[in-house]
Amino acid sequence: MEQRRKERLDRGIKVRSDGLYALMSWRELSYLTLPRLVLIIGMLMLPFLMPNSYWQRVISIVCLYALLALSFDFLAHFLGLVSLGGAFFIGVGGYLSAIMNTSLGLPPFMAIPLATLLGAGICTLFLLPCLPLRGVYFAIVTLMYPLALARVIEAMDLFGGTDGVLGVDSFPNPWVEQYFVIAMVFLFMFGTRRLVNTDLGLVLRAVKDNDQAVKASGMSITYYKAIAVFIASAMGCLSGACLVHIYMWAGISLFALDFSILPIAATVIGGGGTLVGPVLGCFILVPISELLREFGTLRIVFYSLVLMAFIVFRSEGIMVYGERKYHQFERWVKV
Amino acid sequence: MLKATDLMVFYENMLALNNISITCADKQIIGVFGANSAGKSTLMYTLSGIMDDIQKKEGMAGGERITVLGRIQYLERDITDLKPSIRAKRGMVLCPERRRIFNESSVMENLRIGGYLATKKQSKETLDYIFELFPPLQKLKKRIGGFLSGGEQQMLAIGRALMAQPKLLLLDEPLMGLSPLIQSILVRATRKIRDKRGISIIVTEQYARPVLPIVDYAYILENGAAVLEGPHDEILNNPDVRSAYFGVSEE
Repeated sequence: MEQRRKERLDRGIKVRSDGLYALMSWRELSYLTLPRLVLIIGMLMLPFLMPNSYWQRVISIVCLYALLALSFDFLAHFLGLVSLGGAFFIGVGGYLSAIMNTSLGLPPFMAIPLATLLGAGICTLFLLPCLPLRGVYFAIVTLMYPLALARVIEAMDLFGGTDGVLGVDSFPNPWVEQYFVIAMVFLFMFGTRRLVNTDLGLVLRAVKDNDQAVKASGMSITYYKAIAVFIASAMGCLSGACLVHIYMWAGISLFALDFSILPIAATVIGGGGTLVGPVLGCFILVPISELLREFGTLRIVFYSLVLMAFIVFRSEGIMVYGERKYHQFERWVKV
Repeated sequence: MLKATDLMVFYENMLALNNISITCADKQIIGVFGANSAGKSTLMYTLSGIMDDIQKKEGMAGGERITVLGRIQYLERDITDLKPSIRAKRGMVLCPERRRIFNESSVMENLRIGGYLATKKQSKETLDYIFELFPPLQKLKKRIGGFLSGGEQQMLAIGRALMAQPKLLLLDEPLMGLSPLIQSILVRATRKIRDKRGISIIVTEQYARPVLPIVDYAYILENGAAVLEGPHDEILNNPDVRSAYFGVSEE
């Protein structure tokens, strides 16, 4: 009886373009750079391709969600912390930037970086108590903060209370706005991809696998987790800071749960652990959700269906699947 | 009782099991010996059907592709395509490597979970039997599984497997990391289980010396292939085996 099985092998060009040998020829070079170039050029072209300013605005929002999704993916797949804190980061970054802009008179391009760093510091401090723990605590705590902060702001009438902070300066013009957020996505996407392969990234992945072994190697897991949470919350706060300058308003809706949930959905669809997948996932999910705007809250039903379908049929995500198809080929072999 | 023919398992392109055929008659103890990476655990997973589950999960997550070829016959019926839960229902129960007891449940709860498939009468009778077989467990009934010592955990794991009313018990490295004293207790218990309850047992181990005395027939695996097989005496007197798996050098 002849039996066959499907064999999966790396493509020759993948093997040839590993390491320094990639410089051998244009073919190998382009094999490596093409996917990245397509992504970069595609994203740079997007603002031009959009039919009107409404859709251009959507692009900016997509990029902000992409930053959140990157932050989620980074924490979940390289540190093992499931963060539901998108709304927390957005809220802290957003309010800080809005206040700095309106009360201190800082221009957006000063307020945004300051709010990013300060906000990331504040978020890290808030989350510090649950960093030595393993398990669901981090997820629960990150989920509670935005809910609590929204109520505190409402009840104590802080920062304009339910009206929010009005009169926030916008970006000089829509092009600056879009290319700024696109540049930020590039910076953090390629930055985190680089980071996870450095020594620090190795430690972070080790913390995910076995934190006791990391402790036994003489490293403080709280310290390393704090660094990673700082980076991730910086991405979230940056996203929030940009958001208030796009909407020219900061309010309690910054703490909306959407900011926590959508990035997770995008990561599942795009492929977790790739740090590109989440960005792609946002580019799929957010525009679809805009197209479905007229259905109102029924959008959520659609979301859930897409999410379910992906989890059931392709839980690896688009990017992991794509990478495999790009790097490997399959053939039937006799056993 | 069990007859597996031409089992082949690939992890992606790596051959983990190469054309292995294993038979186990009624009330026999079969030993499978081999070093690390010989394919012992893969064999146990394949026989018990857990491989099916691993394969499915890896496939969904886009991980390694696992190919399983060959047929498994159990009690005169082909069970190759059956789910692990059905195989367990038919009496083929795996006591997994590294014990895998339920860490957060107490000893009693662990045993009761194991007895999910048994009737009330059966589980009461088996419980008494387990406490008779492993007296130390008697005093630990209320203790949380995760805080037991290695030896106690292994007794608990075997007890839990017995609660499922097996006809064929698969013991994957039951002696791993245990002291010689505990090892001999477990080996004696294994023989008792076969003698008193008529359960067939397949046991894997790296170091053959403690287990070989009780096995009726043994297979030696190397790099996924069965390099040697034979009844107890034949294996015991084979000079290669003596040096490789007994630590006896024949100078």
